[in-house]
Amino acid sequence: MPEPILQVRDLTVHFYTYAGIVKAIENVSFDVYKGETFALVGETGCGKSVTSRALTQLIESPGRIVNGEVIYHSEKGPIDLLKLSEEEIREIRGNEIAYIFQDPHASLDPLYTVGYQIAEAIEVHGKVKNIKEGIKKAVDILRAVLIPDPEKRVHNYPHELSGGMKQRIVIGTGIANNPRILIADEPTTALDVTVQAQILDLINSLKEKYHATVILITHNLGVVAETADRVAVMYAGKIVEIGSVEQIFKNPLHPYTKGLLKAVPNPMTKIERLEAIPGTVPNLITPPGGCRFHPRCPYVMEVCKKKVPELVEIEDGHFVACHLY
Amino acid sequence: MQEEYKKNIFDKIADKLVYGIASFISLFKKDWKAKNKSKMEEWRLMLYALNRSPPALIGVFLVIIFILLGIFGPRLATWRYNYFPSLYTMNFTQVVLAPPGSKAYLEFANTTITYPLGADHFGRDLLSLILSGARTSFVVSIIVISLGVPLGIVLGLIAGYKGGKVDELLMRITDMFLAFPALILAIALSAVLPERIQGFIESHVLLQKFVLWIFALDTREAGNLGRLLSVILAMIIVWWPVYARITRGSTLTEKEKLYIEAARAIGLSSWTIMFKHILPNIIGPILVYITLDFGSVVLMEAGLSFLGLGATPPIADWGRIVYDGAQYFPKAWWLVFYPGLIVMLVALGWNLLGDGLRDVLDPKTRRSIEFKVKKAKGEGEENA
Repeated sequence: MPEPILQVRDLTVHFYTYAGIVKAIENVSFDVYKGETFALVGETGCGKSVTSRALTQLIESPGRIVNGEVIYHSEKGPIDLLKLSEEEIREIRGNEIAYIFQDPHASLDPLYTVGYQIAEAIEVHGKVKNIKEGIKKAVDILRAVLIPDPEKRVHNYPHELSGGMKQRIVIGTGIANNPRILIADEPTTALDVTVQAQILDLINSLKEKYHATVILITHNLGVVAETADRVAVMYAGKIVEIGSVEQIFKNPLHPYTKGLLKAVPNPMTKIERLEAIPGTVPNLITPPGGCRFHPRCPYVMEVCKKKVPELVEIEDGHFVACHLY
Repeated sequence: MQEEYKKNIFDKIADKLVYGIASFISLFKKDWKAKNKSKMEEWRLMLYALNRSPPALIGVFLVIIFILLGIFGPRLATWRYNYFPSLYTMNFTQVVLAPPGSKAYLEFANTTITYPLGADHFGRDLLSLILSGARTSFVVSIIVISLGVPLGIVLGLIAGYKGGKVDELLMRITDMFLAFPALILAIALSAVLPERIQGFIESHVLLQKFVLWIFALDTREAGNLGRLLSVILAMIIVWWPVYARITRGSTLTEKEKLYIEAARAIGLSSWTIMFKHILPNIIGPILVYITLDFGSVVLMEAGLSFLGLGATPPIADWGRIVYDGAQYFPKAWWLVFYPGLIVMLVALGWNLLGDGLRDVLDPKTRRSIEFKVKKAKGEGEENA
């Protein structure tokens, strides 16, 4: 029986904008097990990033975590991350749960050397006495993220490095404190294809090395197939299907998951043309009633328009929220 | 063949200056020079960019003169501001409102006094008064900027970063201050404050001594400090809201950037993020604004004294000289013309400098200079 490290229950985040309340994510529940790579998949605007940020209360005004709990099984025992004060959650951020953000060009402060920024991440959690010592440690971290000539690079400013190098630095800041959970929010989106594979390999090898758990957020199903152990598919702020990679790719149950997989070229089979899912992601201020996917669903039934489907277990560890099952 | 980059005299001065400062820091911090080579290069390019703009250079020149006058003015003055020649002669007409270039013999003091720029209605030498008055302007502008601006910046940062109710509260207070015309508010405040400040300053002897010292005043003037300080306080009170508003605006855009979120995600505290990551990234435009505002403070201080607030005679103050001299205008035109001219030059100097700084602090201007310098390769390395 795998041991859970993070249990998310009924997580709901709303954004209070002038146009109305944006129900960005609603009743999101999932478990992440120790040592696995858990992928959160979905198209743009479906709430993947909001979910990942809500885990450590990183939601900024006008957003608010309305409901839910995030049970984190720390070494000292389980704690609800959403009930912690700002001070307490800060101890966890970057220390036990670290982030890697999407755009390496924007996630480094242009005014500080990369060494300083890594050192700052270590220093704030009291693992080194001062920045100077932290920079010495940063050299080791740069070596770990496979940056050539780390003694020199540690004194470079972000603008002096390439995109791939910057993403390695960002990963370096993420792993600086040896976190137990590493949340990678579309870590390869801003990079070109040749560098993407290197970065994914790097995340995987670091995960092995530091025994970390990785939550990978992406819309790239190729990346998921390559790296993830389990997958949660999100649509319009809700989780529609959770399962292992094999289950999701071999036996997709939810019509949305099926559509997603059909939209990706498969080198094994010869297809004449790729299929797109008709329609667009609904407006989350007034989401469609019942199942949120029903306006775009090819198998839509009367019940879909009225009743919200619950996640049900179809096979071992494979959950789906659809009235078809 | 492209045109070679030619260094002018100012560029050479810039090289020497940067090299000098770097060597000076190296005295205390070993191998600072080797480590910060790129920083020195950046400074050099900044100064080169400044050298490309003649108005900015004029600004630098005027500002340096103002600063030097501010520091050494009272020492350069031949006569103290409270030396009244009319007390040392029976022949008032030769000293009172003496025209520029005239001389007078003071029979009781047995000295001759010359008036290069003329005399005021007490027979005081106008040149000496202007020199002494430079200190007043200089100290007032420094105090107002160094207290008012940080106050505004801190409040703006907090309002912008925290958002929500804190932002609403702080910005409404700021709006209240901005709703009043600054000059009117300052007039009202400097009319109300003096007595309390006088009482306060008299009960703190050390502070009183310090204030007298920085304004280069005699102990006799202790009774007049209240009015001078009330103007300073009034100006601080009207000065911070603008900065709070600018800082808040830039903070709002800056805090949305991903690296601020990344800083939050590694567990940095709000204060660290505000002062170490947001402030340095938005300080450029604020610096330009500060430079422009030095001129405005000098102008406003002169304006308030011209209205009869602030420095009281015999304390030398540019605005006050104009105020007192206005009664004798146009006969004694020099009492209005020379102090007015110097106030104008100082304000102009700060404005030109601020304009120049705007170009210099823009990395794009700097890069274009860099390309030119690099074309003349080798030459740039000799001093760096």
